[in-house]
Amino acid sequence: MKYSYIKPRKKTPFTPDVQLIVTFFSITIIMLLSTYAFLLFKDYSFVQNRRELISSRLDLEKSIEKMDDKIAYIKRQKALAEKIFTQNMVLKDSIENLFDLVPERITLSRAELLKNGLILYGITPSKDVYNFMLQAPLRSIFQKTYTSFYSQKNGWLRFVSTNYINEDEGEELDSED
Amino acid sequence: MLSKIFEALYLKVLVNIIVKRATIVVYVELHSKKGAIDNVNAEFETITPNEKMIDFINSYVKESPYYYISILDYASIQGALPTCDKHRIPYYTDLSDSEYKCYNNSWIYYTSKTQLYEIEKTYKSIGIDFIFSPFVILADFFKDKIIGKIALYALVQEGYVSIAVFQQGELLYAEHLDMQANTEVEDILLTNDLSDDIDLDIDDGGIDLENIDVEDEGTELEDFGNIEDLDSMEDIDEFDDSKDVEEELLESVDTLEESTEGSFNEDYQRFSLIQTSISHYYKDERYKSQFLENMYIADAVGVSSDLKKYLEEEMFLNVYIRHTELDAEVCELAKEELGLL
Repeated sequence: MKYSYIKPRKKTPFTPDVQLIVTFFSITIIMLLSTYAFLLFKDYSFVQNRRELISSRLDLEKSIEKMDDKIAYIKRQKALAEKIFTQNMVLKDSIENLFDLVPERITLSRAELLKNGLILYGITPSKDVYNFMLQAPLRSIFQKTYTSFYSQKNGWLRFVSTNYINEDEGEELDSED
Repeated sequence: MLSKIFEALYLKVLVNIIVKRATIVVYVELHSKKGAIDNVNAEFETITPNEKMIDFINSYVKESPYYYISILDYASIQGALPTCDKHRIPYYTDLSDSEYKCYNNSWIYYTSKTQLYEIEKTYKSIGIDFIFSPFVILADFFKDKIIGKIALYALVQEGYVSIAVFQQGELLYAEHLDMQANTEVEDILLTNDLSDDIDLDIDDGGIDLENIDVEDEGTELEDFGNIEDLDSMEDIDEFDDSKDVEEELLESVDTLEESTEGSFNEDYQRFSLIQTSISHYYKDERYKSQFLENMYIADAVGVSSDLKKYLEEEMFLNVYIRHTELDAEVCELAKEELGLL
């Protein structure tokens, strides 16, 4: 202000028209940028999701493999269990049959079930009673049978009968376990 | 920084308003970084901004946000004083109700605060950026002359005459003369004088020569009587030789308008005001009065040759008249303010 009595009004290029245009373009640009940013974020999010899904798919595939292995193992266990159960059932039946085999005149004092055999302790009135009434059925079941007799004061005989089945059948069962 | 870039991109619109007696002249100049690219002016039959004038200004103003509206101060109470010292101002006049500015740390120009606010209020609809004093226009227009020998300078507008005495760039005296106010005063005085004269004639039955006051006419002669430079005719011849050759050449090119009855009256009134003012300058001891040899007139209205004749014959001045376009001069000042020159 060199010569004028008053100061000039402050001039700004932002007239109402310019303000309107700038506002319009600003809003448009902001909207475009926000859309672009949203799309970028979405794209990033999709990529992340895809990676996560791929990784989870791989994990699932691995776990499926593990589960398949487990299933196979369980199936084998089941098969073995069924076999053992069947064998046990057979054994139970055999024992029941065994006890059914024992005649009334012979008294068992003790029975030991071995892996591949049976040891019976008992008292018999005579060797003949034992041989005819107990040894015969035992021989039909066990391949090897050994019997020892001890005489008692009353004339009766104490016996120990050791019976074994074939070893091959026993080994077969072990390998299955 | 950003505003500077925007400023460089836009055109500058300089609107300059000159209020005349019955009209308003609006001069618009479009300014780019390279310089003025277009200008247009229009005159409106109004003394306050009307709808047509506002529309005209707005049609240019809306082209750029960088528009500046300047106006030449038309306040009747304004002037200039030969000091910039605040403590010296009251020695000349009381400026408590005036707005003033210092020109080149040499002299001040002032205007009435009330009238300044009135101008701002009148042009509130379009707003005003610059208000310039006619004395600044005068100093700027004759900047090549005021640095020289002592001379009387006058800016003649419709209704106003701004006179100033400069010596080597220093202001010695200035006065803003309002023709309208003076006319009203003169009319009142004339009416009173006529009624008094009629009364006298009736009472006395004739003109009593003893009652005629010859002192008033004599004062003008007394004003010049004290000046030593007029003591010999040789000095007067020297004055004739020292006439401004350049101005003479300019004048010979300019054709002064033929005097009509209207302009004759106005020019006589102007002469009368100038004469009274110069008389005041010579008399007032507060001003450094020296004999005035040359007078330069910035003519914004097209004065007749009568004014020059009166001044030369009655006041023994070498008068040089330069035509000026006030609107363009105001525009130049606005450019100076904005640093466009």
